[in-house]
Amino acid sequence: MLKKILYISLIVGGTAFLSGCAGNSSGKSGNSDELISTDSLSTDAPLKLSEEVISDVIQNISSPVEMASLIKSTGVAFSQKILNDPNNLDKYNTSFKRALNLGVFAADLGYINTFDKNSIVISYLLAVKNLADGIKVGQFFDFAALKRLATNSNNLDSLMEISVSSFNEMDSYLREQNRSNVSSLIVAGTWIEGMYITGSVIEQTNNEELINRLGEQKDIVNILLIILENYKNDPNFTELSSYLQDLKGLYSKVKITTEFGEPKKMEKDGSLIIIQDEISHVNITPEQVKAIIAQIKKIREYIVS
Amino acid sequence: MSIENSKGMKKIFISLLVLFSMFSLAGYAQECNSEALLKQALKEMGNGQYIKDFKVELLKDKKDMKTGYVKFSVVLQSRSQYKFNVVDAPENPEKVIMQLYFKDKLLVSNFEKGKHYKSCQFICGKTGVYSLVFSYKGGAEGCSSAVLSLVKQFSESEMKNF
Repeated sequence: MLKKILYISLIVGGTAFLSGCAGNSSGKSGNSDELISTDSLSTDAPLKLSEEVISDVIQNISSPVEMASLIKSTGVAFSQKILNDPNNLDKYNTSFKRALNLGVFAADLGYINTFDKNSIVISYLLAVKNLADGIKVGQFFDFAALKRLATNSNNLDSLMEISVSSFNEMDSYLREQNRSNVSSLIVAGTWIEGMYITGSVIEQTNNEELINRLGEQKDIVNILLIILENYKNDPNFTELSSYLQDLKGLYSKVKITTEFGEPKKMEKDGSLIIIQDEISHVNITPEQVKAIIAQIKKIREYIVS
Repeated sequence: MSIENSKGMKKIFISLLVLFSMFSLAGYAQECNSEALLKQALKEMGNGQYIKDFKVELLKDKKDMKTGYVKFSVVLQSRSQYKFNVVDAPENPEKVIMQLYFKDKLLVSNFEKGKHYKSCQFICGKTGVYSLVFSYKGGAEGCSSAVLSLVKQFSESEMKNF
């Protein structure tokens, strides 16, 4: 009898122990229905880079926050005309196009939020939600909560936090589920749209800070290409990569020099502040700026059309 | 079965039960309330613009004596002032150590000369991919949340004045 109790307690205890361990693991269990990929974004493509390496490289590659904030600081007025139109959604009927344009609308949302344009934010949130649903990651966007926040201008900071946080969660989920190919397209879409908006503002203002920022993206183009070329057996990825290859060619003429100084540290209000000892300088000619913006427009047209 | 054997089995049974209860309880105690930690970190973020948050959960595997570290990559843009603020779970035996690297060079840590800072700020001079590494002193277990926010952007001439 005692032996039987011992065996049962071993099984029960063991199960409890194992479930405790499972609770500690950081991986999220996914619903298999959410992982169904219906077209070109299947995950069976042979990888040159491991999922881990890719995920390490692409995290936060294309946050629209800095670029949008810099654009706002130039004093240029907000322009909805330069953004993608939510009415274009019907055109995006493949996972490839949906993922790319999810990135595009994410960048647009960042730009809209930075300028506090809550009157149009809902249509862009809806576009994001629809595209995310289309690639089976809509569960990360609580549209009702986002809409509630968007209707009150006092809540715009929270709206920004929640929408960016939703993107981060979705991105982590995609990478955990070995769907980095989808994640890489979202990243590419966000980056291109950010560059497109920047290019449009440069054309209006010829702002030197923005031109410098455009030039500094030289290294980012290279990283994006490394990621996208990992899926080059998919013809869609090959086409997108070829556009970026042309952009890389134009960037090769841009010179970035680095000046080394002394690192500086200070303490202010209980926070440690460090100033980097490396400062980069961009040498870019007006012709190079023009050519780069023209190529970005070409890529953006390919994505949103 | 003899009385001695039966007593021996009883002892084993009770020991195993206690052992399993301890493991199970430890497992539950280690679960992180990431959402609450993130909420707190966002509250303490200040006036900057939220960019990204990082969930840190370092727990020992059965075979491990210590926890390791967790690494994230972030793209930081030049002439931008960033703030990294951290919040530790109250039950953490040690505070989280956050380190920012650029190409293997340590640039910033919230643990300097024996002092822990709840936040540190970094004025970036070069656009690129940076690594953010989190760990706990002595390989302790712990849960923390960190938020990256944009404080300010500078012009090229402003950067020269630092």
